[in-house]
Amino acid sequence: CYNVPLRACLFLALAGAQALTPSHHLSLSDVARLQSLLSQPFTDLESAYYSVVGLTKLGAEVCHFLKSELDPASVDSLFFAVETSQAISGCEIPVSNETRDILLAAVSEDSTMGQIHRAVSALGSLGLPLASQEVIGALTARIEKEDNVMAITSALLAASRLSQQAELGGILEEIEDLTARLDDLGGMYLQFEEGLEATAMFVTAAYSLSDHVGVEPPLKEDQVIQLVNSIFSKKSWDSLAEAFSVASAAAALSSNQFHVPVVVRTHGPATVSHSQPTLQLLVTDVMSQPLTSANVLVESANAASSKSSILSQAPFTLNDGIFEFNFMSSQPASGYYQFTIAVTGDKRLVANQVELKVKVSTEVAVTNMDLSVVDKDQSIGTKTTRVDYPSKAKSSFVADSHQYFAMAFQLVDVNTGVELTPHQTFVRLHNQKTGQEVVFVAEPDSKNLYKFELDTAERKSEFDTISGTYSLCLIVGDATLENPILWNVADVVLKFVDEEAPATIQPKTLYVPKPEIQHLFREPEKKPPTVVSNAFTALVLFPFLLLLILWFKLGANISNFRLSPSTVLFHVGHAAMLGLMYVYWTHLDMFQTLKYLAIIGGVTFLAGNRMLAQKAVKRCVSR
Amino acid sequence: MSNSVISVISRFLEEYTSTTPTKLKVVDSYLLYILLTGALQFLYCLLVGTFPFNSFLSGFISCVGSFILAVCLRIQINPQNKGDFLSISPERAFADFLFAHTVLHLVVMNFIG
Repeated sequence: CYNVPLRACLFLALAGAQALTPSHHLSLSDVARLQSLLSQPFTDLESAYYSVVGLTKLGAEVCHFLKSELDPASVDSLFFAVETSQAISGCEIPVSNETRDILLAAVSEDSTMGQIHRAVSALGSLGLPLASQEVIGALTARIEKEDNVMAITSALLAASRLSQQAELGGILEEIEDLTARLDDLGGMYLQFEEGLEATAMFVTAAYSLSDHVGVEPPLKEDQVIQLVNSIFSKKSWDSLAEAFSVASAAAALSSNQFHVPVVVRTHGPATVSHSQPTLQLLVTDVMSQPLTSANVLVESANAASSKSSILSQAPFTLNDGIFEFNFMSSQPASGYYQFTIAVTGDKRLVANQVELKVKVSTEVAVTNMDLSVVDKDQSIGTKTTRVDYPSKAKSSFVADSHQYFAMAFQLVDVNTGVELTPHQTFVRLHNQKTGQEVVFVAEPDSKNLYKFELDTAERKSEFDTISGTYSLCLIVGDATLENPILWNVADVVLKFVDEEAPATIQPKTLYVPKPEIQHLFREPEKKPPTVVSNAFTALVLFPFLLLLILWFKLGANISNFRLSPSTVLFHVGHAAMLGLMYVYWTHLDMFQTLKYLAIIGGVTFLAGNRMLAQKAVKRCVSR
Repeated sequence: MSNSVISVISRFLEEYTSTTPTKLKVVDSYLLYILLTGALQFLYCLLVGTFPFNSFLSGFISCVGSFILAVCLRIQINPQNKGDFLSISPERAFADFLFAHTVLHLVVMNFIG
């Protein structure tokens, strides 16, 4: 199997049920790479077939090589030579009656499907007569026996070489069966588990037969796009055969009568601005060949944030293979816009409605930058200094704990004069001596006027109460701004009260090695000394001795022991069970023990039963 | 006071040795053996602690289980109790005793570790 990008799967799963558009196709560089792989020098007929026919399908002193390498007794050899000669003009492979007979003999239900396909193709390319009904019979019989994907694909390819009057309906139905066998991966990819070659050859065969018969293949639009994604997602191919299959599929998908997938890409980034007012699109087929006969228009363009419609039904103009549209003429405000683009003009086009996110960027200018030092009790009048971008204030501002430093400015769009509120408006104070840096955010008020105030007493903790000269920078940035601003506006001298001796800034000790943890192994339990346990072991065995003595004194004996087979067997079995217990303790596990116990126990039980029955009888008789 | 206790005990022992059939006395001596073994195990545990606790438990439970099974056997083979155990012959009681012991030993051996 080949790589399926997980990121792409997740993205589409999150995007929800949108109409599918191809996420993979052969870009021009991919086509060039495919061509260079197929252009490698070939060493045998098979490679020659793949290379030359593959290159021809992609739009690339072979004949002599074909004739010299041909083995007229082999169906495969004939197929490769004849098909390759078809691809080059003016190359005729000589054929004799034996050749024709060999090829005709191969068309039977006893040959493999691959052989049938090759024989049929060779016969067709050589112009030799062929009984279509016989071939269909052989193919249908063979499909029953060879049910795999490659075999049925070969059957489809063979059927597409037969006469159009033949009854190809049965074979045509196989396309639907094969479609059902495709694996759906995340709703984005549709492929056979046999791999890329099988999927690509299936697409080639399905369209080849459908074009031949004139019946639209039973593939839904979404399925076509999923197949496109699967086939063209792999960008380096393992073998000539695989490359050939991809080239065939690309040709089939660009020029069949029913489905032509459309690939819409922006030429460059999807951004327009005053310096670059046109949105440029490349509308191509899966091989990056431009669809110049198509009409491309913007169905709707809505602002991403407010969803208000800016445009509707506006056409693109074709300029040297690229579709262009001047968006700035509609004077959009800066920001993001959601475009819906429709490609029409050919009813075969598939996936011809595309959603595109377009960014309109602009340039920002800082105006009315006013800096002042305001006294808290308002006793001294404030002096405002205006600074123009990009110069720096000539004198530095001094603020101690009785004052605060204030800054006000406006951000406007250079082209339209509209006030902007970019995402990033920061005021950065940087102490040159200690290297300390403090960043604040400047907030706009309701009239989009930015204000920043630095209260010296309140903010002293952020500065670590280190007095000194700080250079003040204004940072303005946004995705839609083409000119982010980093402007050293002025120098500010801050004087804090309760100043500690300026300590050098210690970087936080996050990344130094931490103290080592010593692992404490579990203490073994305190065991009693061996003497004690040995003594008690002996002590515990002592009552057994007592038992034997008592039994002897009572006169217990085995004089009544009858030497019959059941008694012997019972006692042996019982001893074996006790032995098994010991072995269980030392060697076995429960399952093995239960197994042995079942056997020994069964024997002992039967013997014991017999023995005890005999005893009972004896007891009743003696009564 | 102790006099009466001693006389009760001696009377009991006399009755016991005279009236109890030998078969039951054999079982009784077995019971005494089991009791002593169990008591000694418990004493050991008290003295030195429960270190291999599973081993102690399995040994002690073996003694307790054996004692109980032997008591059951004694009750069932006592001819004076014949009326209560009409369907269970002494042989059957002994067979049950052996089977129960097999199961007990299986468990004990599993747990002894």
